[in-house]
Amino acid sequence: MSASVGNFDQTVTIMPNAIVCREQTTIKGDVVIGSRTIIQPTVTIIAEKGPIIIGESNLIEEYVTIINKTDQPMVIGNNNVFEVGSHSESLEIQDNNVLEYKCRIGPKVKLTNGCVIGTMCDFNDDLTLPENTVVYGPDCKMRKQLERPALQTFQLDFLSKIMPNYQRIEKPRKGVKNDEK
Amino acid sequence: MELQDIYYNSSDYIETASGNKVCRKSVLCGSQNIMLHGKTIIQSDCIIRGDLANVKIGRHCVVSSRAVIRPPFKKFLKGVAFLPLTIGDNVFIGEGSIVNAASIGSYVYIGKNCVIGRHCVLKDCCALADNTFLPQGTVVPAFSIFSGNPGRFIGELPECTQTVMMEHTKSYYQHFKPKMLKS
Repeated sequence: MSASVGNFDQTVTIMPNAIVCREQTTIKGDVVIGSRTIIQPTVTIIAEKGPIIIGESNLIEEYVTIINKTDQPMVIGNNNVFEVGSHSESLEIQDNNVLEYKCRIGPKVKLTNGCVIGTMCDFNDDLTLPENTVVYGPDCKMRKQLERPALQTFQLDFLSKIMPNYQRIEKPRKGVKNDEK
Repeated sequence: MELQDIYYNSSDYIETASGNKVCRKSVLCGSQNIMLHGKTIIQSDCIIRGDLANVKIGRHCVVSSRAVIRPPFKKFLKGVAFLPLTIGDNVFIGEGSIVNAASIGSYVYIGKNCVIGRHCVLKDCCALADNTFLPQGTVVPAFSIFSGNPGRFIGELPECTQTVMMEHTKSYYQHFKPKMLKS
């Protein structure tokens, strides 16, 4: 197949053991991708002004868009799952959060730990979600769940085993800062 | 009602020996695990994840642009796997839909922007309205229409659904023509 190869800026840092598929993936600006994070094809990550720092063991699926339009840094913690088609402009996502299919969260939302944003929720209120909050349904109702969403370590291990057999993977590298050029 | 002709750039599509038309701009991962039984149309920006598990798509199916077909993930007592995904014949998948189902029967209509959660089962001759979300493990019975978020039963389909879907997908294939170059 004559698929277009990924589009990466020189400023992108990829830590060892991270798996970043090159097929139709766009990563622009000052982006750091932590180790054991898996980025599947057709993902868009754009840091327009401020940097984007993605932690360890995150799973980022197809058609996910992560954009930082502000000057502040956008920090994404560890063990988060971004499912297919989700769109995030949130500046602070801590650990163990799940963004389900086709959800959108705006720049004012902050996620703590163990939050779930339900499928197709469009959520852009100025608030910090407390731990283990679930946002669900077409009206973005909220409730608290008793336990955190399960860790995806099995899936991450399995993916990191099979993905290199089929996908072209971007090698780990250290990004060049703009002022060092 | 007769469908209008849809023209595509012949340089954008590959036609296989069995009549499948696959857009070059689609993302087919692990293409050795993807089986198209013939006369299936895969439009631009579709993703089919054959690298995770086998994907079988029957005859006369239409996968519209930006649809994502990915086998569901399953955790067993011992180890983990992605389950193979089978789609029957004469299935229409609308634009931007995400298919994470375990199996989809034949003569199924899936509208635009639908999300089909993990391990869902869609039986033969059923339909999903646009923007439907089926949560994990939903079973859609035959001859039913599901709609909403979360998807609920809203009505029944007539008994002629099989013929209607066959006609619809076949005429879609016939009207999906390469653009004639002006000479």
